[in-house]
Amino acid sequence: MNLVLIGALVVVVAALRLSRARRRRRQGSSAPVGVGRRLWAGATASLGDVGLVAQREIRERVRGRIFKVGTLFILVGVGAALVIPKIHIGTAPSESVGVVGGGPLVAKVLDESAKQSGTTVRIVPEQSQTAAAHALRAGRIDVAVVDGRRILVERPVGSSSTSSEAAFVDALAPDLGILRAYEAAGLTGAQMVQLAQARPVPVESLQGGASKGAAKGTSVIGIVLLFLMLTQYNSWILMGVMQEKASRVVEVLLAAVRPIQLLGGKVLGIGLVALGQATLIVGFALAVGAAVGSDLLKGTGPQLLVSELLWLVLGYAFYCWVYAAAGSLAERQDQVQTLVLPLSLPIIIAYVFALTTAETGNPSLLFKVLAYLPPTAPFAMPVLVGLGQVTWWQFVASVLLSVAGTAAMAWGAAGIYRRAVLRSGQRVRLGDVLGASARRRKAPLGAS
Amino acid sequence: MGGLLELEGLRRTFGTVTALDDLSFDVPSGHVVGFLGPNGAGKTTAMRAVFGLTDLDAGEIRWSGKPVGQAERRRFGYMPEERGLYPSMLVGEQIEYLGRLHGMDAVAAARATRTWLERLEVEDRSKSKVEALSHGNQQRVQLAAALVHDPEVLVLDEPLAGLDPVGIDAIGEVLVERAQAGCCVLFSSHQLDLVEDLCEQVTIIDHGRLVVAGTVDELAASGRRRLVVRVEGDRAADWAQGLPGVSVSEVDAGAARLVLADGVDSDRVLRQAMAAGRVTEFSFERRRLSEVFREALA
Repeated sequence: MNLVLIGALVVVVAALRLSRARRRRRQGSSAPVGVGRRLWAGATASLGDVGLVAQREIRERVRGRIFKVGTLFILVGVGAALVIPKIHIGTAPSESVGVVGGGPLVAKVLDESAKQSGTTVRIVPEQSQTAAAHALRAGRIDVAVVDGRRILVERPVGSSSTSSEAAFVDALAPDLGILRAYEAAGLTGAQMVQLAQARPVPVESLQGGASKGAAKGTSVIGIVLLFLMLTQYNSWILMGVMQEKASRVVEVLLAAVRPIQLLGGKVLGIGLVALGQATLIVGFALAVGAAVGSDLLKGTGPQLLVSELLWLVLGYAFYCWVYAAAGSLAERQDQVQTLVLPLSLPIIIAYVFALTTAETGNPSLLFKVLAYLPPTAPFAMPVLVGLGQVTWWQFVASVLLSVAGTAAMAWGAAGIYRRAVLRSGQRVRLGDVLGASARRRKAPLGAS
Repeated sequence: MGGLLELEGLRRTFGTVTALDDLSFDVPSGHVVGFLGPNGAGKTTAMRAVFGLTDLDAGEIRWSGKPVGQAERRRFGYMPEERGLYPSMLVGEQIEYLGRLHGMDAVAAARATRTWLERLEVEDRSKSKVEALSHGNQQRVQLAAALVHDPEVLVLDEPLAGLDPVGIDAIGEVLVERAQAGCCVLFSSHQLDLVEDLCEQVTIIDHGRLVVAGTVDELAASGRRRLVVRVEGDRAADWAQGLPGVSVSEVDAGAARLVLADGVDSDRVLRQAMAAGRVTEFSFERRRLSEVFREALA
């Protein structure tokens, strides 16, 4: 049912978008109009040239097929991660139980035992033990209960058996035994019903009610998404800067705007696309999770997701400058390849550490240290949040360290970018742009 | 529109290579100035310096008497030698975007984009990606990008390279038109005949230094006077041999090209020719720009 609703929602949204696009085409306008566009234009105008550069980045990125397909792919993946476990639970095995006599209490005990063993039960009334045994042999029923005192099965149920039938019989046998004990004790029917309705008292954890499994699942999904998205956005920055340099368009742009405006606009534009995509994914995850009642979004799940969203922004803010500076050093694909591995190393290390720790649920001291270092905090800190092993002030301290690290990185990267992006020919060495001796060794771009 | 672009005392070295060596020249508004020099002379470096794309060791660039900064550069248009457009961006959007970066509002940028794409006859490619265009059309789009914000100064590095005659005419026409509208146009080229046709002034540099600058007319009339004399029936121009102060540079199908030393009376040459036979041609010849260029760099 929920799947049908989600499918219908997707179709409606797609139809609305198609209809709007057709209407715009009929009106002969290629640009979206309306309040949203005016607001957007106002927002970018207030940012001046940075806003214009950011606007172009957003338009070009969102328009790209890679972005559309990638977003759809992630949404499908997240939806599947949330829905499939519920579908699996919804199709729990069913046991057909032939019942000979026993009364209404037996039926109630059968239901309770089925719940305990994760199955459902279908009661088939049988006239006699002989009829029940016959039905059992014929395979029409899985189990037979005679007068609430005996359980018949076709084949012996071993203690090591993992079938749903074995689990059901294991739960049913003691329950029927208790029922017999109640009868032997001379309890009335009402008393026996009251006792049969006994429920275990709830066990409350001081660190929230999420099960460890659910928190782990949410954490792992979040880390994987964080890794995929950070890698993707960083790659956009790297390739974007490199392509602007390679196509020489950077010369035309820098004839009109300052390097920091161009770089700032690019970083802002791609960052907003990243935030938009991540928000869409988190919103989609929350909506689908709520619709199907996913365990992944219970307990600390939502706060873990929000924390991951925040760390995606902080992680992007830190790494975008690194990748922008690297992009300005290269102007060919092969030059970029040599830069990618060393740049990706901290991300890969943090990613592997985070996945391992989320799996074991036991963060080491080293992992806790990584949660405060700007390059690794985006992966480590959300895991600690998911495990409930971080206080608010520790979280804030990590955020502040990350912001400070980002400011330092932005300052350094802007300097490298300014010195390197107009130098062409062979790949620019970092030492060339950092060293004082490099000040007067800038190679002319096609000097004649 | 009106002003003077001044490049004064520009100096720039790259390691041991001196790209600009105390280079100074002016580009007045309302003129098309050809910027000439052999490969490696420093033309591109000088042009990039106007836009702050290369640091200078010394010197200053002024526009209307004031040092050129970011605000002034927004009113300049630039076409780099190796071109510079986003390959996968739509032509119309790209021009509009560059116009906006130069300070235009969205409506004005859209209008100017349409105008210039029509003027350069590429309006039908407005929705195409730049990479899908031919070399000539990319060149036109690049020029539109330099012109979209109606710049006061237009600096074009090899704008005519690789174009067919139709493209050269179209772009040349636009450059002259912009100069007539009061724009200050500086462009480099190795096509000297075209420069001679398009420009009122030329500046020739070599090894980062100014070699020659002046109007095309001044340069054509400068140097030793040249005469072309044709005497009927005399294909070898023997009559000119031995004339004091006169050297025969070339004899082509009876037409003798003579170079006169300073102080030589051209009437005396005419009398000598008339004595040899009936004179069918007697004219002073202007120097071609290519000759000026070669002599300047000799």
